[in-house]
Amino acid sequence: MEQDKRKAFRRFIDRQEAFIAQNSAERALKQHEKGKLTARERLDLLFDEDSFTEIDAYVVPEGLSHGFGKVKRSFGDGVIIGHGKVNGRLVFCYAQDFLVMGGSLGTVHAAKIDKIQKMALKMGAPIIGLIDSGGARIQEGVGSLAGYARIFRNNIKASGVIPQISVIMGPAAGGAVYSPALTDFIFMTRQTSYMFVTGPDVVKEVLNEDVTFEELGGADVHASKSGVAHFAYDDEENTILGVKKLLSFLPSNNLENPPILNRQDIIPENSDNLRLLVPDDPNKPYDMVDVISHIIDKNSFFEISENFAPNIITGLARLDQKVIGILANQPKVMAGTIDIDSSDKGARFVRFCDAFNIPILVLEDVPGFLPGVNQEHAGIIRHGAKLLFAFAEASVPKITLILRKAYGGAYIVMNSKNLGGDFNFAWPMAEVAVMGPEGAVKIIYRKELAEAEDPVKLKKELVEKYREEVANPYIADEKGYIDEVIDPADSREKLITVYDALKNKHVERQPKKHGNIPL
Amino acid sequence: MGIFNFSKKDKAKYIVLGNRKYTFEVGDEGMVKVNRVNRDIAVEEMTHNRFDLLYKNRKHRAEIIEKKQNKYTVEINGNRYAFSIETPISYERKKMLEKKSGTSGLVVTAAPMPGKILEVLVAEGQQVKEGDTLIILEAMKMQNEILATGKGVVKEVMIKNGDSVMKDDRLIVIEKK
Amino acid sequence: MKIKSILIANRGEIAIRIIHTAKKMGIKTWAVMTAAEPNALYLSEADEVIDFTENTSEVPPFLDVERLVEAAVKHKIDAIHPGYGFLAESAYFAQSCENKDVIFIGPSSDAIYKMGNKTIARKIAIKNKISLLKGSTRPVTDAEIAMKEAEKIGYPVIIKAASGGGGKGMRIVRKPSDMEKNFRLATSEAEKAFNDSTVFIEKYAENPRHVEFQILGDKHGNVIHLGERECSIQRKHQKLLEEAPSPALDEKLREKMGNEAIAIAKAVNYSSTGTVEFLLDDAGNYYFMEMNTRIQVEHPVTEMITGIDLVEQQIRIAQNEKLSLRQEDIKLEGWAMEFRINAEDVQAGFAPNTGIIKRMVIPGGKNVRVDTGFVEGAVIPPDYDSMIAKLIVFGESRKKVITTGLRALGKIDIQGLKTTVPFFKAVLHNKAFVDGDFNTSFIETEMQSLFHQEKDEEMLAAFLSLMDYLKEVSDDSELSADKSSPWLFNKRMKSI
Repeated sequence: MEQDKRKAFRRFIDRQEAFIAQNSAERALKQHEKGKLTARERLDLLFDEDSFTEIDAYVVPEGLSHGFGKVKRSFGDGVIIGHGKVNGRLVFCYAQDFLVMGGSLGTVHAAKIDKIQKMALKMGAPIIGLIDSGGARIQEGVGSLAGYARIFRNNIKASGVIPQISVIMGPAAGGAVYSPALTDFIFMTRQTSYMFVTGPDVVKEVLNEDVTFEELGGADVHASKSGVAHFAYDDEENTILGVKKLLSFLPSNNLENPPILNRQDIIPENSDNLRLLVPDDPNKPYDMVDVISHIIDKNSFFEISENFAPNIITGLARLDQKVIGILANQPKVMAGTIDIDSSDKGARFVRFCDAFNIPILVLEDVPGFLPGVNQEHAGIIRHGAKLLFAFAEASVPKITLILRKAYGGAYIVMNSKNLGGDFNFAWPMAEVAVMGPEGAVKIIYRKELAEAEDPVKLKKELVEKYREEVANPYIADEKGYIDEVIDPADSREKLITVYDALKNKHVERQPKKHGNIPL
Repeated sequence: MGIFNFSKKDKAKYIVLGNRKYTFEVGDEGMVKVNRVNRDIAVEEMTHNRFDLLYKNRKHRAEIIEKKQNKYTVEINGNRYAFSIETPISYERKKMLEKKSGTSGLVVTAAPMPGKILEVLVAEGQQVKEGDTLIILEAMKMQNEILATGKGVVKEVMIKNGDSVMKDDRLIVIEKK
Repeated sequence: MKIKSILIANRGEIAIRIIHTAKKMGIKTWAVMTAAEPNALYLSEADEVIDFTENTSEVPPFLDVERLVEAAVKHKIDAIHPGYGFLAESAYFAQSCENKDVIFIGPSSDAIYKMGNKTIARKIAIKNKISLLKGSTRPVTDAEIAMKEAEKIGYPVIIKAASGGGGKGMRIVRKPSDMEKNFRLATSEAEKAFNDSTVFIEKYAENPRHVEFQILGDKHGNVIHLGERECSIQRKHQKLLEEAPSPALDEKLREKMGNEAIAIAKAVNYSSTGTVEFLLDDAGNYYFMEMNTRIQVEHPVTEMITGIDLVEQQIRIAQNEKLSLRQEDIKLEGWAMEFRINAEDVQAGFAPNTGIIKRMVIPGGKNVRVDTGFVEGAVIPPDYDSMIAKLIVFGESRKKVITTGLRALGKIDIQGLKTTVPFFKAVLHNKAFVDGDFNTSFIETEMQSLFHQEKDEEMLAAFLSLMDYLKEVSDDSELSADKSSPWLFNKRMKSI
């Protein structure tokens, strides 16, 4: 179409041209030189082709004519907001633009985020924040801080209503870290993103310790040590692919079910192998991920917080095309014991699944809680209680499959029947008991062992007897604490059947403001 | 918008990094250019993650052993190869960031097989050179020496005598000199 | 007395190998089921199975002399075949069988003891004027003695387990400063593997060939040899590929070495199958190393070129039959090679793999024999060695064997575990090997790469990765809504 030369249109076109100039390739280069993409390139990757609609592209920052220091006039105020389709589903998004005033957060910038957050909540669609910001805009003073507070409040309001995802692709420092921290998931890109409350300079000044950005708050630190980030990727393109992958498992809001993936090719590896994956020797480690991949739909496991507290596995998967959340002990790390970090990780995951109607599958092989002064003093009681609370409170379908060890308190915690598990199954090699054979024999037969001629031999016999008579799945089965002892090879079929039966499960809840989870 | 056409499926260009660098241009209808030359490769999935690749009238058996994000391990004709899949952009980024930070000085020694640590022969802070024995690992009733791959200083020892380890467990971190 | 039933005190392919011959001879076979592999293939091949899965002692089942002999007595089994490894070279086991009137299918306990103890074996060899390498004449009990002995002999030396075999407990020491560490390792390995930490020290011959002679002796004083096997393709003293005959021997040398092998066997009244191992240097000098008093893993290559069933001979000798074969009856015809298909990761320095064999196709056929103890879906347990199968290839000439071997290796399809197949392909493509010009240092000195790569295979693997990656990315777009039933939806609405 010809350009309209009328006066009213001239200004319209001038603005468009100025806007395009602001997003020149030259400027993009600045970002590329740091190993980063521009905010617009990121949006381009995230959304389906030509589906992103920007809102408030032409707003300008406050403080143009007053206040401390001068702010350069530029469109958008360092953040792009809008909505679009990701794999055909509506998603809201804000992307901070580091090229405009370092992506710093001023009042207008905050107002835009506030606006898009409220829209997402109204429309019941996920919101994604692509974060790349120098922090509060000092020139705008307390206005910036007020802006942060509003964003945080929105995060909390939307929590449990719509999925909120934060993608850290540059700096996120000081108070700015708390918006991501309040969302459901945090993605980080290695080498170019950082999160910390106080940066290396302050650490140096106060404590005289030298630490790099990456060491203090890089992707790997948060994905493995602090547990702040759920995902770490090598580059921004794969980070965004990861976000899209995660979205494919999530419902748009807390009234919907997670979407179905229409894929024909879902049969996993030969399920007969399930009989062989778990070693008979209860002390031998194995990789639980192998077991998972033999049960769920082919290649459908998406692990969350893989490197943080790896003694428990959390992840989303599909079982007969439908999404489930898997929580499993990992016998190859610390024998799969439950400690503080794994309790926190597990509890948060269970609550997420419960909030968004994702049925839970527990794969259990747990020798107990991790013993130790450190653990006790750091509050394993308080943290372990979170996992209990989360499981008992969750109203989504909950199934437990006991593969091998299920001892004592850890057995109770891992969604046991009387804690509210809908179905509890066990494999024939399961050992459901108050404690392991060695420990039990030592306590029960303390006297006999002390007096025995050959205590080693006697202990061996008693352990064998205990295993035979107590540490097996059949006593629990006979009492109804286990619904059925099943052939490992039948696990997938069994689970599909019972999840189908639980499809319409609903639990009436006590009217209350909220429970008091031990935080 | 559309500074690059990453999301477009046709004629996308990718770089796959293994022992060597391979550039693929994937066109319509499975046409593929490898390092700028047209190639005709037929892929047939046989069973779970297992493929027959037909190329130049030769059949190669392959299996995807592991995949995580953009990292793949593929076994072909009984040999395993590890790859990372890059776009031209992520590849440039990789090169640039490597240049910037210098190659990472830390080398992690991982357990080559499951077994039991019989003896840790080095301590944190100790200088080692290529070929020095770091650890003796007992597996399959054999004692296996795990050797240093280069000169450096032991930064972290993650295991102790008597520990049982799984394959790929991290054992020792050495800072290369 | 004719043997009517055999208890096989072993597992895997050798158990099956013994069962096959026993069946042919109309002998009933009993196998032992262990907790480590209660579903193993050898159990289904046997006529009867004895259950050893209950853990009643600290001793592993195939090393439990009392339990095995007791089982034979209890079930009135005539004889025990020990196979190789485990108790095959335990004089105590042989003696225990003899004591309970169970036939031990192997030589006398006396012969086992003498040949099993390296220091005694050396003495016997010296007495019979068999050529030997310099070595310690007494067991070496501590590192200090080891140092002194090594000084006397001259470095490099090799420390060997006195009651060892199969490479375990062996360490080469090139300079005094390495002695202590290696001595410690060798003794502890020997202790673990053979329950005997005694070691001795011998001059280490650099880069010799490993050539061994197959011996057959009966209880009537007849001893013959069935030619040699070339076993120089080794890694850390573990044989990987064996062939018969050896490209390094001519008729004359064969006769000379063969006669010495017979002489040493006669010196201990040897009465079974046995193997006399020699080191052979470039100049054609050879040195007696040891005698293995059992059936060897690599016995099939000898069977292929002689047409003699060695297990059958073992059984016949054990039931007191006279050898029906004389030395002049033995004709070596054609060539044979054996490839040990082990679950080992060649790319990671032959690290053993354990786990499930998800797929296993090893086609046999004309001139191709496959001995295996596993089927698809079996587990390679960490308790035992890593051998999955033996591929044995026969041909008119060495050249033909190499061609057939490459074809057979190409057809092997094993999934779930990495194997030594790419290694053997690399060996068969190696010029020095094809020329027959190699020794025990072959792997270290002649091989550019330990595994064979087909042309373009890395590119193809890269392509496959990319295709899968792109598929994963595009697959997520096939989403559709999962609508709740009104019943659930309304309740959900109300409860929020």
